[in-house]
Amino acid sequence: MGLQQTPSATSGGAKPSVAARIGIGGPVGSGKTALIEALIPVLQRRGVDFAVVTNDLVTKEDAERLRRSGLIDPARVSAVEAGACPHTVIREDPTLNIAAGDELEAKFPGLELILFESGGDNLASTFSLDLVDWWIFVIDVAGGDDIPRKRGPGVIKCDLLVVNKVDLAPHVGVVLDSMLTEAERVRGGRPVIATNARSGLGIEAVADAISSAVLFQA
Amino acid sequence: MMQSALLAIWQADSGFPNGSFAFSYGMEAIAALRGRFSAQALTDLIESVLRLRWATFDRLLLLRAFRAGDDLAELHTLDRTCEAMTLIESLRLGTRRNGGSFVAAHARLGNPTAARLRDAIAAGDCLGHLPVMQGAIWRSLQFDEPSAQLASGYVTASGMIAAAVRLGAIGALQAQSALQSSLPIIEQLVIEADDAAELSSFLPFIDIAAARHTRADLRLFVN
Repeated sequence: MGLQQTPSATSGGAKPSVAARIGIGGPVGSGKTALIEALIPVLQRRGVDFAVVTNDLVTKEDAERLRRSGLIDPARVSAVEAGACPHTVIREDPTLNIAAGDELEAKFPGLELILFESGGDNLASTFSLDLVDWWIFVIDVAGGDDIPRKRGPGVIKCDLLVVNKVDLAPHVGVVLDSMLTEAERVRGGRPVIATNARSGLGIEAVADAISSAVLFQA
Repeated sequence: MMQSALLAIWQADSGFPNGSFAFSYGMEAIAALRGRFSAQALTDLIESVLRLRWATFDRLLLLRAFRAGDDLAELHTLDRTCEAMTLIESLRLGTRRNGGSFVAAHARLGNPTAARLRDAIAAGDCLGHLPVMQGAIWRSLQFDEPSAQLASGYVTASGMIAAAVRLGAIGALQAQSALQSSLPIIEQLVIEADDAAELSSFLPFIDIAAARHTRADLRLFVN
């Protein structure tokens, strides 16, 4: 059978994704993997069928951490190497991530949600909308209360800004309320959620935002 | 002629999203062994890859896939041959993943051949090795054969250059000197190489380095 005669499940090229795809980006150490670890039991309890793609910068540590966590079927965690270009793999050339998402969808029919974790970058990283439908940017208070004021594209353009490690604020000289107010101001009032991924603070609110934005659940 | 040249420039441009940036095809491991490259050393390495793997293996697979057109059975055979003859796992899986990303990009751009190849890969009818996918899709885009080969050779050389620069193994300008020196080699190989030759690839140093890379604790690239 020739390619021209091969029956195709799709018409033309743009195969619509079945699962909603969301990005979780942010600087190294801000708590992206910890946020995913905290979200996993919440999403499972809500009955969401999901998988994770990690983009580790120099190792597969994040993917292995999730696979060994016991929280999720290891087969539902896929790793994509960033080739020393953490920006590129989620923005200029997201095709490896797109292919990884397609593979997960083929492997797990009924998948509703795929979380793409970026390899960790600076405040300029953003996700291609070819790859994700909606994306979160994670910063943490220990990185300094001036991060929102720097107005990095990640902070400004994301659909949801998560300010993590809020428990550390008094220990690093950060006035949390001021930092959150400034974050909301530079984002023009778009959503900001304060979290402590280790204790679970704010995680239900993040799950609510995901459900509302891409799963269309109130 | 001009249209084919423009198509080749488009597909050889590192700005075209096909996942190639994440693959070093042994360069990361070689840089770890050798440290910094001079422009001449990098030129020599690229020439070895072009003469001993690309011209005699990747180029021939590309050419035969190009000539196979929409014959999925023939593409499947070429894909399996590439799989069987690529002994180093990281290189074998690398060209499959790279090919899968290349196909995904063209499928999203609305190329019907790419969409069908993507479905064939998902169904297990094709493996998706990069040179085979390039041959099939570039033909569907109306490339001529020489332009397809030139684009493939250039992508091979420029990919090595990009990896070496990102690894800090050579400066960006010195790397361009090495790339410029590689251009006449690519041209010569396209003009003179035997299109009917048996497939062959013999780069033991790079194969061993790539095998070492698989076990590396820290790595930036897929292979």
